[in-house]
Amino acid sequence: MSAEAIFSSQSQPTTVDCGGKVPVEHLDYDYIEKCKDVKYLEKILGVLRSGDMGIYPHLISFCESHLEKLDPRSRTLRKESPVATAASLSKEEWSQIVDELKTWQEETKKAETSLKKQAMFDALVKENMAPVRGSSCFVPLSQNSVPKGRTKPSKRALPRNYREWDKFDVEKQCEKIDENVISTDPPTIINTGNPKIKTKVDVSMLQQQEKVLLANREKDKGNEAFRANDYEEAVAYYSRSLSIIPTVAAYNNRAQAQINLKHWHSAMTDCQRVLELEPGNMKALLRRATVYNHMGNFQMATEDLRMVLREEPQNTAATKLLSQIENKLSECQPEQQRKGKKILIQEVEEEDDNSNDKTKAQQTACPVQPSQPVGGEESSATPAERGDMGNAQKKPHGRGDGGPHSESNNSHHGHWRSKGGSSDKYKVTQESKEKVANGSSKRGSTASVQGDQSSSGKGTPVGGNAAETVNLDAPCGALPPPLARLKNEGNLLFKNGQFADALEKYSQAIQGYTDSGLDSPEDLCILYSNRAACYLKDGNSQDCIQDCTRALELQPFSLKPLLRRAMAYESLERYKKAYVDYKTVLQIDISVQAAHDSVNRITRLLIEQDGSEWREKLPDIPLVPLSAQQHRREEPPSAEVLQARAAKAARDAERKAEIRFSALKQEGNDFVKKGQYQDALGKYTECLKLKPDECAIYTNRALCYLKLERFTEAKQDCDAALKLEPTNKKAFYRRALANKGLKDYLACSSDLQEVLQQDPNVQEAEKELEEVTVLLRQSLANASPAKPRKTVPITEVEDDEATTAVPNCRGENITTNLQPTTAYDFGQSLNAARCSKNTVACAELLASTAPEVLPQYLSSQLDGHTISFIMQALDSHLLEKDPNLVYQHLNHLHTADRFSVVLMLLEKDERRHMTQLFEHLSAVESTEFTKNDVQNLANKYI
Amino acid sequence: MSTPLSKPQIIAHIQKSLNYTVFDSKWIPSSAKFVCLGNFPRGTGVMQIYEVQHGEAQLVKEVEKPKPIKCGTFGATSLQQRHIATGDFDGNLNIWNLETPDVPVYTVKAHKEIVNSIDGVGGLGIGDGAPEIVTGSRDGTVKVWDPRQKESPVANMEPVEGETKRDCWTVAFGHAFNDEDRCVCAGYDNGDIKLFDLRNMSLRWETNIRNGVCCVEFDRKDINMNKLVATSLEGKFHVFDMRTQHPTKGFASVSEKAHKSTVWQVRHLPQNRDIFMTAGGAGNLHLWKYEYPAQRSKKDSDDVDVGVAGSVNLLQNVTLSTQPIASLDWSPDKQGLCVCSGFDQSVRVLIVTKLNVV
Repeated sequence: MSAEAIFSSQSQPTTVDCGGKVPVEHLDYDYIEKCKDVKYLEKILGVLRSGDMGIYPHLISFCESHLEKLDPRSRTLRKESPVATAASLSKEEWSQIVDELKTWQEETKKAETSLKKQAMFDALVKENMAPVRGSSCFVPLSQNSVPKGRTKPSKRALPRNYREWDKFDVEKQCEKIDENVISTDPPTIINTGNPKIKTKVDVSMLQQQEKVLLANREKDKGNEAFRANDYEEAVAYYSRSLSIIPTVAAYNNRAQAQINLKHWHSAMTDCQRVLELEPGNMKALLRRATVYNHMGNFQMATEDLRMVLREEPQNTAATKLLSQIENKLSECQPEQQRKGKKILIQEVEEEDDNSNDKTKAQQTACPVQPSQPVGGEESSATPAERGDMGNAQKKPHGRGDGGPHSESNNSHHGHWRSKGGSSDKYKVTQESKEKVANGSSKRGSTASVQGDQSSSGKGTPVGGNAAETVNLDAPCGALPPPLARLKNEGNLLFKNGQFADALEKYSQAIQGYTDSGLDSPEDLCILYSNRAACYLKDGNSQDCIQDCTRALELQPFSLKPLLRRAMAYESLERYKKAYVDYKTVLQIDISVQAAHDSVNRITRLLIEQDGSEWREKLPDIPLVPLSAQQHRREEPPSAEVLQARAAKAARDAERKAEIRFSALKQEGNDFVKKGQYQDALGKYTECLKLKPDECAIYTNRALCYLKLERFTEAKQDCDAALKLEPTNKKAFYRRALANKGLKDYLACSSDLQEVLQQDPNVQEAEKELEEVTVLLRQSLANASPAKPRKTVPITEVEDDEATTAVPNCRGENITTNLQPTTAYDFGQSLNAARCSKNTVACAELLASTAPEVLPQYLSSQLDGHTISFIMQALDSHLLEKDPNLVYQHLNHLHTADRFSVVLMLLEKDERRHMTQLFEHLSAVESTEFTKNDVQNLANKYI
Repeated sequence: MSTPLSKPQIIAHIQKSLNYTVFDSKWIPSSAKFVCLGNFPRGTGVMQIYEVQHGEAQLVKEVEKPKPIKCGTFGATSLQQRHIATGDFDGNLNIWNLETPDVPVYTVKAHKEIVNSIDGVGGLGIGDGAPEIVTGSRDGTVKVWDPRQKESPVANMEPVEGETKRDCWTVAFGHAFNDEDRCVCAGYDNGDIKLFDLRNMSLRWETNIRNGVCCVEFDRKDINMNKLVATSLEGKFHVFDMRTQHPTKGFASVSEKAHKSTVWQVRHLPQNRDIFMTAGGAGNLHLWKYEYPAQRSKKDSDDVDVGVAGSVNLLQNVTLSTQPIASLDWSPDKQGLCVCSGFDQSVRVLIVTKLNVV
């Protein structure tokens, strides 16, 4: 209507008035085209449609289309159309609708029947209901007759009775009202009762189905409120929906509503919940990015947005937000650079100092070495030490230095990590490590931590806090003073964030270097690497790659250029190359977290890009020789630095090896905990390659051997451990077990006695000793290799070394007779194993039982759980070792009494175990049975 | 405006001719069945249950009742029971168990004359608080019933002695967003619309739309009252924004002339309160969408808040028959499915597509 008014006021042939009639000459294409008066056009259309002036179908449609252009919502254009039928839709559309309807009908039918069953809950529901309203209240139809006690005397216009209404003139009344609005009017009632909406719904009495319905409805209400911009109400309804059934959609929507209300923290929690329920939910990521953006956490925001764009590259919202954030980031970039300078100065500077004060470095580094406990039995200290290392890596100034300096540094790290590329963390890591290694201590220090401090002292001469006092003329390696100055200037500029200027300095230095014909590849390497850093900062990835490659030609396998090149590749989206570089970095130093992260990220990308065979498309990852890892800084031939290098390299290698060592050990321990002794064995063996004199590893490996029943090897390991530590009671205990396995009871008992002598409180040893004594006596009496009547299984499940300071836990030691001779024994053992869910014990039990007698043993106590338990045991433990035995067992098991009955009663889960077992079994190649045999057997079971 | 492609289509899925005049048709919640209420030519009432099956409406059950049944509702029953409350020509309010529809589970002589309209709230998980039924009758009264209380209504809204009695044509519940608040809106033959506040037991607001009010409905019963649509005898309908009640101007409204004849019914889509369908006297259906204004309230010259009405958009209109469509009901479970019945003695199941994209 308003649109019409506007149009008519602008109309070209100004409002046509022809006494309500449309002259014939107006029924003309030209006239209609020029006419801008919607109302008149409608009139013309009416005349045309009526056919009074003749029927002109083309003119009618022309008029309609013209009218539609002017006012698409004109009522005249509304045509009465017959209702659509199935025929008016395309076949696919219709069949889709019908299908939907059909499934809905089926679903509701099911729902209905289940609803009918629930009628019994009605009584309960009723109790929950609101009470009946006070009986028969009289509400007058008009307010003048309202009893005074009930309502406040209102100053509203008095309602009229119906007769009066007939004479009522709304317009006049409105004007009247407008005229004498009195300020004492009661205030406008605004129905925003959000606080009154309960945010929780009591659904304790409802069935799942009703809950779903209700939750959906509340969510719908939330959506509607959201569309009406009632965000608070929307939040209330979403909360109600969530209180019934938490769903991703409701959380997501509530997050958006909270965002609109600017409740960032609530929005954040909601996004997190969605991502917990459904990792990678695009909407939640996008919303979280928005929240991060508003909370000022741009780095996280960009990460989320990148993730979204990876999945949906066309997502315009994400693209827009990302560019916004990037703008913001670039705006505050300079500031950040300034903030981050202290780190940068270290980074660059300590490279300069590589060749400085080497001897001192050596001295200071060496004493550190013995003070580092290296895992093992005293592993309680290891985590702490590792923590120290981590600490040192992350916060080079974290200790000792104290004061504002260290604090500011810490904050920089946080800052860097949040803002910067993935390598930032690493930069620090490497620095600190190098510092530890070659720390040119001006104060002289002995501990590694102090080494850190001292290296920071370099950046701030004599512990001064002012980074500005950098001595530009500080000597740099083998560089002649002018070049060193250039380089230092470059470093200073870099740390100040003037990357382009720093770039120039470095370029000059490199030029000068080549001109001077020096032969110090290491320095050149550093120069290239530094320049690469500048290029990287400038976003010039190509040149960065070039410089890194040059640096790497000079010094293969040096970390920083590799890492920088990887980052450059990544930013150019050459993921394969980036992957290779990151992998190489990790080979050199496994502790580079940034590289780990990036590798994970890129792996995902590559899988997406190339499918599951992505690995095959990768270029070869250069194998970093151990020597390169350890001596990667030893190559430079500069004679005077060689000695220091060697020391530093040794120190480096020490560290690397140690990290690798502890990582391997940890993995081994984890495997032990999981019961994968074979894998653990491999890890421990690797550990021993790195450190052949580590007692704990020997004992750990012995445990694995014991579990795998390779007693001879176990004994050898224990011997080795005892050589290193002649009083290690674990080694003694394990050797005892090994001896027992080897049926050397005499040696066993002496070992156990040794253990008890050291620590009389070891109950396992006592128990073992008792048993072994019995066995010993027997064996002596029989004078023959006696059948051991009882063996105590080696179920020292938690290896004590694996975890720090975990008290010896014996809870899982279950006495299981592993070699039963009667059905009773067998039953006891089986039950014991089953009660503790110890499939290992069960597997051992089965291993020691002849398949032929299994049905006999089982006969009386066969039930579904037993079968399933046996299946599990066979599957998880025995199959690997001895598939033939498994086959034999299965071949006999089905002959047991009641087997067919029990089989029928198996539960779904139990059946699944069974199927799994047969699948695995059929995958095994064996000479004793063929796939067909397995198939036949399976038919009897499944 | 929606593009033609995303425009909802109204499709006639099933049409069933009946041998009686049908006044009301209602979906049974959580089922693919609907109930038809009507009047046999011989003057008795009838209640039929149909099930939608394989593109047909199969008669499941039919019961004859002594008095013609005018209207029904499931609004006050639990999802498990799904008892229908009906009003008949004799002024009786009955509640039937559809499994055993021979004897009512609740019956009361509610009004002296025909029950024109009925509505329920507090059941089916819609609306907090007690289950209540409201009936509006030709005798001029509007009564609220609680199925747990026999004989007498819990609230009675009638003209005082000496006042002219107007025929109440339509009633509707609303504002039932917590245990206490609840409103009843009633429309009368003279164009009066009255809003009763059941919490304060008072008349909260009244207006007149000049022509008989055929149907009123809140966009949702169980929220803080948001919108009210009232249709009128001469083909207009009014949408009131119920959020801001000005002390003198009341609620802001927008009106639209939709049909060339009486708008008999308006029903909001249960899944989206801003979409509603009106059924007209010329056998046509119009599907509308309400668009909110940028600001739902503003300050008037005296700095008092006054509501701002939005606008309505026609999404689709179709003609079903030449006779008026008297009843319309959306399926509460399946979006877009609705049943309507007209005075051409037939009931139709319609499918409205693309409601989720408008």
